[in-house]
Parts: sequence; C-alpha cells; structure tokens
Amino acid sequence: MSLIEKLNSLARELEAGLDRALSLDTLEELRVEFLGRKGRLASIMSELPGVEPPERPAIGKLANEVKSRLNALFEGKKQTLEAAAQADVLKGFDPTLPGRMPWIGSLHPVTLVMDDICGIFRSLGYDVVLGPEIESDYYNFEALNIGPNHPARDMHDTLYISNNVLLRTHTSPMQIRTMQKTEPPLAVIAPGKVYRRDSDLTHTPMFHQIEGILVDRKVSMGDLRGTLQAFSQRIFGPDTRIRFRPSFFPFTEPSAEVDISCMFCAGKGQMDDGTVCRVCKGTGWLEVLGCGMVAPEVFQSVGYDPAEWSGFAFGMGVERIAMLKYGITDLRMFFENDLRFLKQIA
Amino acid sequence: MLLSLKWLREFVPFEGSSQELGDRLTMLGLENEGLLRPFEQIEDLVVGHVLSCEPHPDADKLKVCKVAVDNSGLEPLNIVCGAPNVRAGLKVAVAPVGSRLPGDVKITKAKLRGVLSLGMICSERELGLSEDHSGIMELPEHFTPGTRLVDALDLDQEVLEIGITPNRGDCLSVLGLAREVALAYNLPLTMPTFELREEGDDAAAEMAVEISSPDDCPVYLGRIIDEVKIGPSAAKVRYRLVAVGLRPLSNVVDVTNYIMFELGQPLHSFDMNHLAGGKIRVQRALEGMEFVTLDSQTRKLTASDLLICDGVKPVALAGVMGGLNSEITSSSNRVFLEGAVFDPSLVRRTARRLALPSDASYRFERGVDQNNTLYALNRAAAMIAESAGGRLRPGVCGAIARPWSERRISFAVEHCNSLLGVNLSADFCRATLKGVGCRLENEADVATGWTVFSPSHRPDITLEADLIEEVGRVYGLDRIEPTLPKVSRSLQIGVEDDAYAFQLALKRWAAGVGLNEAINYSFTGQKDLDNLNLPVQGRLPIANPLSAELDVMRTEIAPGLLVTLRQNLAQGIAGVRVFELARAFTACPEAETGAVEVNRLGILLYGSRYDEFWPREQADADYQDVKGLVEHLAAYFKLGILTFENAEESHPYLLPCVKVRLNGEDVGVVGRVKPEIADIYHARKAVWYADLNVDVLARLFTARRVKFRELPQFPPVRRDITLICPATLSVQEILDKAGKVKMPLLEAVELIDVYAPKGADTRNLTFRFTFRHAQRTLKDTEVDREREKMAEFLVKNLPVTI
Repeated sequence: MSLIEKLNSLARELEAGLDRALSLDTLEELRVEFLGRKGRLASIMSELPGVEPPERPAIGKLANEVKSRLNALFEGKKQTLEAAAQADVLKGFDPTLPGRMPWIGSLHPVTLVMDDICGIFRSLGYDVVLGPEIESDYYNFEALNIGPNHPARDMHDTLYISNNVLLRTHTSPMQIRTMQKTEPPLAVIAPGKVYRRDSDLTHTPMFHQIEGILVDRKVSMGDLRGTLQAFSQRIFGPDTRIRFRPSFFPFTEPSAEVDISCMFCAGKGQMDDGTVCRVCKGTGWLEVLGCGMVAPEVFQSVGYDPAEWSGFAFGMGVERIAMLKYGITDLRMFFENDLRFLKQIA
Repeated sequence: MLLSLKWLREFVPFEGSSQELGDRLTMLGLENEGLLRPFEQIEDLVVGHVLSCEPHPDADKLKVCKVAVDNSGLEPLNIVCGAPNVRAGLKVAVAPVGSRLPGDVKITKAKLRGVLSLGMICSERELGLSEDHSGIMELPEHFTPGTRLVDALDLDQEVLEIGITPNRGDCLSVLGLAREVALAYNLPLTMPTFELREEGDDAAAEMAVEISSPDDCPVYLGRIIDEVKIGPSAAKVRYRLVAVGLRPLSNVVDVTNYIMFELGQPLHSFDMNHLAGGKIRVQRALEGMEFVTLDSQTRKLTASDLLICDGVKPVALAGVMGGLNSEITSSSNRVFLEGAVFDPSLVRRTARRLALPSDASYRFERGVDQNNTLYALNRAAAMIAESAGGRLRPGVCGAIARPWSERRISFAVEHCNSLLGVNLSADFCRATLKGVGCRLENEADVATGWTVFSPSHRPDITLEADLIEEVGRVYGLDRIEPTLPKVSRSLQIGVEDDAYAFQLALKRWAAGVGLNEAINYSFTGQKDLDNLNLPVQGRLPIANPLSAELDVMRTEIAPGLLVTLRQNLAQGIAGVRVFELARAFTACPEAETGAVEVNRLGILLYGSRYDEFWPREQADADYQDVKGLVEHLAAYFKLGILTFENAEESHPYLLPCVKVRLNGEDVGVVGRVKPEIADIYHARKAVWYADLNVDVLARLFTARRVKFRELPQFPPVRRDITLICPATLSVQEILDKAGKVKMPLLEAVELIDVYAPKGADTRNLTFRFTFRHAQRTLKDTEVDREREKMAEFLVKNLPVTI
C-alpha cells in the first residue's frame, strides 16, 4: 500500500474506531493510537524519507490534511462524549436533596436591639459602660435626688437584698458611677439588666434598659432633642417624628417623655382601612423614652459645678423597642427562651 | 386624678372639648390617660312624668302607669312598675324600650302578668347612682319630661383621667388643674364662693390645739359643727363623687372627700362627742403602742408615726386614717372638722409601713398647700352645716405652727434660653412665671436676673431649673428646635468600652458557631440551686421576692439554662444548643454592695447533634461537641492552648466535670449534668454543659499579643505511630511526654485515630507527627530516624507498646 493509500485509509479506520469509542478514556486511547508521538500517523510519516523527493510535497500536504481531519474527528467525538458525560452527571444529580447545613445560631432579640442602639450611639462618639446590677440605695435612689421618702419611689417597685442593697430598678445609677470617676466632658451609654417587683402581662421582673448621659459646657435641651431625633430616625426609619412631652424624673430638670410617631399607622392613629391602630391605640404616638437635662442636685452629688456644666440624660426600655421593631406582642416571650422564637428573630 | 369637665368649669370658663383639653394638658406634662363617661350606661334614660297609676288587674304589688316621656303630646308609655312609691304626678327616671342599664341590662318590650310594659321606671341602685333600692327615684317637680336624665340631673358626664407625676401634688385637685388650664389658655380663675353662717360660742375656747413639732405639722385647724343630722348627702354631691370614682357615705364624710377632690386639702371629721379633754394634741406615737383604726384593725405604732390625740387618747393616725374610737357614725350629732398639713415623709412612712394608702395620704405625701387650708376648712364647714343641717360655731381652733416661707430663687432669662436651646423673650418668661403664681422682684433687670418667689401651692419649685422647666413646659418642650451636639472626648477613647465589646464579640461567636442565645432571669428559686447541689454559702436571697420560685440570685448560669432546656423539651424539640452570657451573683461581705457579679458564659448541648435527618449521621451531642466548642472559642479568640483535667468537686452537678485551664488559669468547666439532676428537667439524654468565666477570658483576651510568624518555606513530612495504651492513660499525658523529647525538627503532634474495643482495658491511639526543617526539604531517611527515636522514647517512658 502506498503512503497515500495508507494516509487515506487512516481517516476511515478512525471513523470506525470512533463509532466504537463510548468513553473519553477509549477516545484518548484512540487518539494516542492515531495521533500520538508513536502513533500511526507518525509511523506513516516516518516512511516519508523513503519516498522520492518530487512526491514528497504532495504526500506532505496530504498528511497535513489527514492530520487536520483526524483532529477534527477527535474533537467532534470528544464534544459528543463530553456532552453525554455532562448529561449523565445531571441524570444522577438531585439538586433538591438537603444540604449539610451547619447549626443555625441566633442572638436574642434583646441583644440584637441593644447592639443596634449601642451601635448608633457609639457611632456618635459615646462609650459603652457597664455597672453592677446589685446596687446600693445610694446610687439607685439617693444620689439621683430620690430621697428615702420621696414619692417617686412609688414609680419603682424595688426588689431588695437588704435594707440598703437592692437590684437596680433602672440603669440611671450609671450616671452617678460614670460621673464620679470621669471628669467632664463625657458621653456614655450604659446598657443592662434592671429589675422591678412586678410581674404581669406587660411587666416582667427583669428587663433591659439603656441609659445615656452627655455632659459638656452649654448643652441644651435642643441638643437632647436633636440627639434623640437622630437616634429615633436611625432605628425606626427616616420618616419617624418625635414628640417631647413634659414629665418628671427626680434626676432631670426639665424632664420629658419622648413619643415617636407610630410606625404601624404612620402616626395617623388609624389604619388604611379606617380601623383604630391597635398599637398606638389611635393616638398616633408611642412612648419609648424618658429624658431630661441633668438636675443640679445630681451634679452636686458627684461634685460637678452646675454653673459650669450642663448635660442631658435619657433612658429607654430595650424590650419595648424590640417589640415595636419586630412586632412582638407578648413581653413574656423574651424570657421563655422558646427556640422557635429565638430562631425566628436573629 | 379624675377630672370632671363640669367641675373644672366651675373654676375656669373653658369652652373647648374634652379631647382638646386632654391634649393640651398632656403637652403641659399632665398626661391625659383617657376619657371616662361615668354615666355612659344611663345616657339613654329620660325624665318621665307619671300621668296615671292604676293597680295591675292580676298582681297585687304591681301598678300600671301612663308615663309621659316628652312634651309634644305623644302617646304616653304604658309601664308596669312594682315600686311602693310610684304614684301619679311623680317625675321619674324612665328607661325606654331599647335602652340599657348598668350591668348590661337591656330594656325590651315585655308583658308583665298580661299587661304590656314599654319601659322601666328606675331606682337609684338600678342607675348605679347609689345603693338605694327602697323605691323608684323621685325626681324634682320642675324637671321636664323627655329631657335626658343625665342632663336633667346635671351629672358629670365627661371625666378625664389625668396621670399626675409625683412632683405635682398640687394637681391632685380640680383647683390645681384649673390653675393649669387658666395658665395654658390665659383664662381667669374663679374660686367658689360660700357663706359661713356661724352661731353660738367661739369654738376655739372649747378645743385647744397643741402641736409638738411644727415640722411634723405646720398647720392644724379645726371647726366645730353642732346639731348635725347624719344622713345621705345632697344628690349633687353624691353623684359627683360617683362620677370621680368615690363611694358616697354620709353628708359629713362626703363633704370631706368632695373638698379634698376639689381643693386638694384632705380633711378629717371626728365625732366631737368622743373627743375628750377639750384639746387636740399633735404628737409622735410611742414606740410599740397600739391603735385601732376605723377599719377596726389594731395597728402597732412606732415613734415615726404622727398621732392626733385628744386630751387623753389617740384619735387618728395623722394624714393616714382616723381612729375607730372617734369616727362619724349615724348617731353622731357634733362634728370636729380637721384641716391640717402634715410632714410628707412622716405620712408616707406610716402609710407605707401599715400598707394603708389612701387618697388623703397620697396628697399629704406629695405636699398640700398650707395657705389654702383655712379656705378649704371653711368651705367644707359651710357645706356640712348646709347638708347636715348643723350649726357652725364661730371661730377656728388651732393655729399655723410654721408659716409658709417663700422660696427665693434667682432666674436669668439667658440661663433659661441656654438650657432649653430656645430664644424666648423676657416678657414671655415673666408672664409665664407670674401665671404659675410666682412673685417677681427686680423684674425690670433682665441682665442680672430676677428674684422669683414660688407660690405656696408649688412646693416643688425650689431651683432655677424648676423655673426653667415651667417656662419650657408652657412654651412647649415640643417646640424646641433639634440640634446635634458635638461630643467632646478626652484623649482616652473607648477604654470603658472594652468589656462590652468583648461580651458582644463572644455572643456573636456563639451565634456564629450555631448556638441560640437565651436570656433567663437573674434570680431563681433556692430549690433550683439545691437541685444542682450548689453550696448554700454565698447565696444572695431576695428580701422581698415575688415568689418562692424567684427568691435568690443565681450563683451560676446553669439553673436558667436547664429551665430553658425543659421548656424546649416540652415543645418536642430534639436537639437543644443554647448559650447565655450573664452575671452570676455571690455574696462577698467586703464588696461595695456585698455581692460579686461575675460574667459567665454557659453553653448547653442536648440531644440530636443535628437538626436534619440527612445527610448527617444521626447521633446525640457528646463530650467532644461541647469540648470542641470551648476549644473553638479559645482558638477563634487566639487565647492560647487550653488544658482539660478531671475535677470532680468544683461543679457538684456535673459528672464528669472537667476543669478548663488556660495559661495555668482556671477559666471554667465542661461536663455532663448528672443524670438524676437532668431528670428533674425532664432530660432523658445526656446534657452537656460548659461554664466559662467571661471576665477571665476578657482579661486574657486584652492581654494577648498576636504576632505574625513567617510562613514556612519548605514542606512538612508526616509520620504516624500507633500506640497500644492502657485505657487509663490520657491522651494529654502522651502529648505532654512527646512534647518533652528534644527534637528540633518536630513541629506538631496530633491524635488522628482512636481504636477502643468495647470492654478492653487497652486502646490504640494513632498520633501523627509533623516534621519540618526551616531551611531545607527533609529527606525521608532522616524523618524515619526521627520517628524511630520518638517511638523508642515513648515506649521507654510510657506504659505503651507499638
């Protein structure tokens, strides 16, 4: 057989072989057999030196054509086989089988909201301070201008350890503790647990508060209002309006309760269908904060000169804000630790 | 404080609606808590005129009446009535068909013994106006048929419930709130006028008053009314008391309550016939003495209780409650009426100690205007004389022991504007302070400030800040423009913040590794601590607990997390993986508050290791899970290498109980809750628990120094050795021993396999040794030599074979 015939038959033989090749592995074997370094094309070409020189160019040209042809055949078959293999992969693959999921952890809604709030004030430059939950009467009441027989004590149902030691009823003692060990100016927030002797549908004997205090020269109630407005809009949304209502706390003067516009009815007091908003009970406002300008008596109790320094303080209930934020309706859920609840809010 | 709008309008001509008033009061700091309509349930009733009244054909006690219920000549209603006093010509209260009565009674068309009845003629009790059910209510002759009954009776139909803050005792009266309304709306305030018709001898001569301490009782005044006849009060007084939630009692006691509500001055009425010795003494009780209050309870007194005594005996607990021995009864015919002011703290202490809160003590505690006492006493005396038909004796017993001393406060408009962040005019400030009732001196001198004297009804105003609050309140705190202050900082930033930041980081780590955060109460029951065999010493019981289940501070986190476990098991949850970061409390007499608070992290694992059934293999959480979490924590926070050793006694509810140490310091324990204890919490499977001291972790975290190490350039070579070890030999002992070999090329040793046949007293432990040279690639042969050296060393120094 002449070289030309041999070359011409290569393609036919390969085609026959390819028809029988069912896997990429056999295909590779064929490729080595035909196109490999010691393959059949190479071996035919090794006979080229034996050909008369005038014929060589024609044979060389043919050899190149055959080589391209063979390569094309292989590529075609390879693509067919690869496509088939891919189809096979999908044939046995069920994307809906469950994944191997790591445990899903969660932070308690109180932690989440507390961190939201602390985060906002930290971004404004406040430090977070922590203090004792078992407090002395002095820090919890006396230094905050709530003397032993002050009627404002009625606002706090107190749990006592002993006569002068109690479970703090608010985070306000941290105002005193902070000012006692810090020279003004200062700006801190104090998150933490507080306790009241009260347990019913809307009260738990333990809950969480966040106290804030800022002391500087020439601090005004406008500053307090601005701070709380910025805070409220950050946590409840940019359309939130706030309202200052005069109120009373023995340790601030003037004092105010802060209402925010109800986010459930957009402050309208009624829902779109005309029914009275159940969250704000039709008032359009929700009470979320107590605040005021630090009372001169409090400055005196920590040795600050009220003529030089002024400041504001505020306090809020974390559960209350969490309830509004997540639409939780039952306060007691916070401390039942039902995993179905804990995993829901994270 | 319940404020009737009608009553208010007797003081100020406020014309607006109750809603408008409520809103305005709220923005003045007197929170409107809602509108009550005390007579809402009888608003459908009308005045009727009984035209005729015939006996019922089939019933002896019933009568058939024709009752006109309008003036237009419409057919009168046929109403069957059983009251003994029903008769023709009477004006009566009629509940027509379709109307309702208190107690959700609906009036329907009815046949009574065959006679159609189109309504009901009502008694006072049926209207909720009094307990009187002896017969139907007989209305005044001049009432017009068809008029709404509530209008005809001039009832207080709108009552606002106003929340009064503890500083505003002055607003616990119609007068006080009227002052606020006058101030807010710039309306004139009119005091009620009355006439004192006095007869007989001077009362002061019959009753002397001795006050032992003017501080305890700055004012004690009294009046005597003779020849009173005790009976029900006039309808107007009774209905008004009902409207503000008080129960009418008699024409004397009702007046004292009426005046207290109207003017804020609590009064007490004594039966004059039971006051002996011709004098009243106001003095402290003797320690331990007993006194029977008018509720018939014997009270044990202390020296801080203030008593009203007659010449021989105590007759009242001042400001708190009268005595049984001198109370007004139906047979009383002489009244000694007391109008006094007592020290707020004394009243409060007594009322609190004896758990005897009353409307009177509530007002005394918050301060009563002593300059108004005489006026209130006189007004009450005039009313009693009128309503009980008595003879008011001229003269007032007693005296002002300590006159009101005005408080002198300086006020500068500039301070006011600066503190509020506003720019109010001197005129506005001046007008407001005067409106509040203050007297001003140097008022032309705006620059140096004014001298302000606060009024006697506002004892809460003592400082400039109080005056600023008044100005701000009247201007409207809500009108202050918001500004965001610059937060001034010292150079030391964030130092205090570290503890919070670390705790938050720990919580985030825990949630990140798949634990769910729980928050339990800081208190638990003594029984819960007992259940865990926790020491009794060091516990901090709560003196006044809410219940026995919450009567002691928790000394560990575990009690709460075990309750969390039980509650979730009750929900049928198969796998529980929770953590809590909170404080545990123990007694420490040397500490500032007698308590030490340590932040602890509790981690509890129970039941199924994974929530899914597939593709994970189903198994329960075990020691390796909980230990792995603790190791993960240390590794994540780069705290160093933990060691674990058995320590049975440290946590008496755990077995095994493994002490966790870090750099030689105890940081906590891991272990399994003893099955008999787990059982209390309905946990049938193993409960794995870790308890870590967060404060120690925080300190180690702050102290750690993380440094970069050059990455190795050359590859490691690994060799495994399997040791046949006695089961009693711990992995740590082997690791420790291996670590002692002098082998510079050895980089790490780790356990890679354990084969422990059941029941065997040996186990096979396979360790992997990693060797590396810092400057070149190791040859196999030299590593093999190192492995041999290590194997020989271990066999020689440990009870192991290869």
